[in-house]
Amino acid sequence: MRNKQATRLLLELSEPGRRGAVLPECDVPCQHLENLVPDRFLATSVPNLPEVTEPEVVRHYANLSTLNMSVDTHFYPLGSCTMKYNPKRNERLAAFPGIVDVHPYQSDRSLQGLLRLFYELQQILAEISGLGAVSLQPAAGAHGEMAALMVAAAYFRDQGESRNKVLTPDSAHGTNPASAKMCGFESVTVKSTPQGFVDMDDLRSKLDETVAVFMITNPNTLGLFEHNVAAIAEEVHARGGLIYLDGANMNAILGITRPGDFGADMMHFNPHKTFSGPHGGGGPGAGPIAVTEKLGDYLPVPIVVKKNSPDGPFFQLEFDRPRSIGRVRSFFGNCGVLVRAYCYLLTHGGAGLRRVAENAVLNANYLLSRVKHFLPVPQGESCMHEFVASAAELKQDRGIAAMDLAKRLLDYGVHAPTVYFPLTVKEAIMIEPTETESRETLDHFAEILFRIIDEPVDLLHEAPHTTGVSRPDEVAAARKPILKWVANNPPT
Amino acid sequence: MKPEELRYAKTHEWVHIPQEDGNRLATVGISAFAVEALTDLVFLELPEVGKQVQQGDTLGEVESVKAVSDFYSPVAGEVVEVNSELPDDLERLGEDPYGRGWIAKIRLSDESALDTLMDHAAYGALCAEEEI
Amino acid sequence: MPYLYNTPEDQRAMLEAIGCASIDALFDTIPEELRLNRPLDLPPAMGELELTRHITELAAQNLSSESADCFLGAGSYDHFIPAVVDYVASRGEFYTSYTPYQAEVSQGNLQAMFEYQSMICELTGMDVSNQSLYDGGTAAVEAVLMSMDVTRRHGEVIVAQSVHPEYRQILDTYLTSLPTKVVSVGCPKGTIDREEFAEALGEDTACVLLQQPNFFGCLEEVRELAEQTHAAGALLVVVVDPISLGLLERPGEYGADIVVAEGQSLGTPMQYGGPYLGIMACREAFVRRLPGRIAGQTVDRRGKRCWVLTLQTREQHIRRDKATSNICTNQGLFALRASVYLAAMGPEGLRDVAGLCLQKAAYARESFANLERFEPAFDAPVFKEFVLRDRQNRVDQLLTDAESAGILAGVPLGRWYPELSDCLLVAVTEKRTRSQIDRLVDFVAEDSKDKAPLHA
Repeated sequence: MRNKQATRLLLELSEPGRRGAVLPECDVPCQHLENLVPDRFLATSVPNLPEVTEPEVVRHYANLSTLNMSVDTHFYPLGSCTMKYNPKRNERLAAFPGIVDVHPYQSDRSLQGLLRLFYELQQILAEISGLGAVSLQPAAGAHGEMAALMVAAAYFRDQGESRNKVLTPDSAHGTNPASAKMCGFESVTVKSTPQGFVDMDDLRSKLDETVAVFMITNPNTLGLFEHNVAAIAEEVHARGGLIYLDGANMNAILGITRPGDFGADMMHFNPHKTFSGPHGGGGPGAGPIAVTEKLGDYLPVPIVVKKNSPDGPFFQLEFDRPRSIGRVRSFFGNCGVLVRAYCYLLTHGGAGLRRVAENAVLNANYLLSRVKHFLPVPQGESCMHEFVASAAELKQDRGIAAMDLAKRLLDYGVHAPTVYFPLTVKEAIMIEPTETESRETLDHFAEILFRIIDEPVDLLHEAPHTTGVSRPDEVAAARKPILKWVANNPPT
Repeated sequence: MKPEELRYAKTHEWVHIPQEDGNRLATVGISAFAVEALTDLVFLELPEVGKQVQQGDTLGEVESVKAVSDFYSPVAGEVVEVNSELPDDLERLGEDPYGRGWIAKIRLSDESALDTLMDHAAYGALCAEEEI
Repeated sequence: MPYLYNTPEDQRAMLEAIGCASIDALFDTIPEELRLNRPLDLPPAMGELELTRHITELAAQNLSSESADCFLGAGSYDHFIPAVVDYVASRGEFYTSYTPYQAEVSQGNLQAMFEYQSMICELTGMDVSNQSLYDGGTAAVEAVLMSMDVTRRHGEVIVAQSVHPEYRQILDTYLTSLPTKVVSVGCPKGTIDREEFAEALGEDTACVLLQQPNFFGCLEEVRELAEQTHAAGALLVVVVDPISLGLLERPGEYGADIVVAEGQSLGTPMQYGGPYLGIMACREAFVRRLPGRIAGQTVDRRGKRCWVLTLQTREQHIRRDKATSNICTNQGLFALRASVYLAAMGPEGLRDVAGLCLQKAAYARESFANLERFEPAFDAPVFKEFVLRDRQNRVDQLLTDAESAGILAGVPLGRWYPELSDCLLVAVTEKRTRSQIDRLVDFVAEDSKDKAPLHA
């Protein structure tokens, strides 16, 4: 039974005089407010926050939560997002006293355990990437991209070179060109071949001494390994440019191949994808970056270093790095996410990480082998950790769009894949099962998809049918935006 | 305005150029074909009055829920008036693209480039081609 | 392996279905010469029990606000977090879901985000809020970039030295590759120097970035500064402490155009600096320049009220290099925590928290002032933090000694302000008790005995 309370807003549940938290009495001599703060600084009214009791807060959010699909409750093959199982032990360990309640400006001396953890994490990420220098500071993948491009810009400035372009493939995540722009670069798009790889001729035609960085996602967003990557790197390096690896798809290659070994100079990790950090309804992530030794001096400050003393090793934050680009965020980094990543990495060890990649790729190929018989996968005889099917034929023949399939899948109790990305595939359906799903789940998903394709067109156009709401009017939402609660706006 | 009497850019803008000589004021808008292809427009950004444009310069932006497109000036000149009611009433673009859906009036500064614009028949052929 | 389903039998059957000879053969598209033909050199795998033991040992080597009395602030605060916040945020349906790309199965997240936006608007007096940015520092920088976009002024931005030094460092980093100049306005008395400020304002000033209460805990004359800023055609960007808004005037009322904040105080633990919550709200006119995701209200095909992600054309996945920002993953879980915190507190609760911070900070400040060794560095009114000048100029030693006694006494300021190297910043939240404050002051009094001042 759906609780109707769930869809009322907190501010609609509000009743004057109700409250959740009660604070302690003031235990210091209380002074008149005006004696402490002149009137002109004080609010004349309290903010209109909801007045609700603690049980109401709990019931409200508990009910709201049931309106979400999540990894804990549903198969969630959202391509490019690596929605793998989020281990519960990591949640518990990251909440330990001594980890969750330490202040960012405590002395290094008072934080030797935590700094050791981050130091070891830096080393582990260096080993996985094959790139010697690591910064844990960036707050998310896109933030890592930006930080790394700033590193590249600083490097070229030091070399006395003025390179103003960043190349990105047309299949790249939108964050790539957006990050390039934020760093003052002009973003230039490189075409893909019909097979889904970087078009070498187009790359060569755009590659010159003004190109600072070529950003490549490998495996790419079609789930294919850019087999030319070494040649690409060689050509870019020959013109003095750098290779950036968008690490969104690292799950496919952990322990199999390393970005540093296939020519990347810089990369970011997405610990909330690859290393099982929960996605939190939108975040947080973290975006540690790894770069070659020659670029290491330019990384954001601080980084954790280990000093050996007669009393044993001492871990400390190092700020004195004259070539550093500076800070890209406040404090050390998204530590809570990094601690979870560390726990995940220690749980697996080297051999275990390789098995993660193997099973992610096995699961994706198995699902591909079932799906491709009834839904075209334009670039896919085989794949890495994900593949991109296309509903273009379905749309042309029967008017069934990728979005219709996505919406109908919800009725069958699975989250939809990513649709309409990458932009290079018409009616794209990007499916990433991850390694933490069973063969039965994959079989079940393939069977549902197979069944849906034969369902009546009208049924699909109006799907989903079983959810509380169906096909919200996005046009109305964008034309006349209502972005906050206003009074007298009751639920219908 | 009748679509047959207008001229068109390859980028799907129309322009109406009055016949009388002198201080010539062109009216520009987006073709019905383009409005349909863009589907469910939600936002339109008008150019600023006073802006000087060359033929092919960005004049403004239209957005649907999940796409953004620039539109370009089919003529060179100065923007002297914009249809300021349009952003709040985007339906006009679909209902009456060549009338109440006009976007801007531009005082022509250079008429030499007008020859590159298509007539209605040529534009129709272009649309037919793009539809395939 | 703990999280994998596939048994060797499963793997064999799946490979057969694929038509592939072995797992290794699945990777045939990776050229042989690029493969890593050795195991990764990582620490050996640990089971849950060993890992728990290991993390327990590491955690035990850290002081924390549980094992010490924490008077550290400077942008991260030891506020109380009601259990309901942890309860809600630890529901898997919230923390193991992602960005609500499919609105029908994300109504919980979308509604929670809409409520968050509503509460942030109430709190700040602004018209529109996004769903969060990374942290207070990056939010401040995004606001500056947004101001440049809105005003189409790219010449300079004015930043008060009383803005968090790390936020200013981030701004410097972001602006390195852009032509915009940062004009820094000094704060010799703890608040903005008004003459210097007036001189700095120019016709190519995109915005003024200031903090209220500022980094030193002092209150700036925001209303007058807002008027001057607007007279110059620039936008006012204010960094606020959300807890302070239980008492202090809302930025929308004194003329802020964009409000940003570190939302950590609202129900997020300190966890060594992140993940936190970048709050950002602005006036309605700027909504299409706002970075980050936004939830909007609409109706579904049956006419039922519901929520969707809206105005997405601002974002990188659509507009790519023309997007308002490159942000994708945000801090949704911490926006949720902030919402639950604000709902649990309610208007009166938030006022009480702010009041306790104010009273206790005042008590601590006065107690210190009674010691010969210390004087308040600035006279301006403060909220929950204040700067003390150590007449003995032994800040570092004092902090080391206090730490040994289980007191995290304050943040030394010399690292950012050489002229304040004899100063420390002390924060007092509602969690500190009178006896903890007294212990701190007693400890300092004891520590001061028989020590010759280093400067008079």
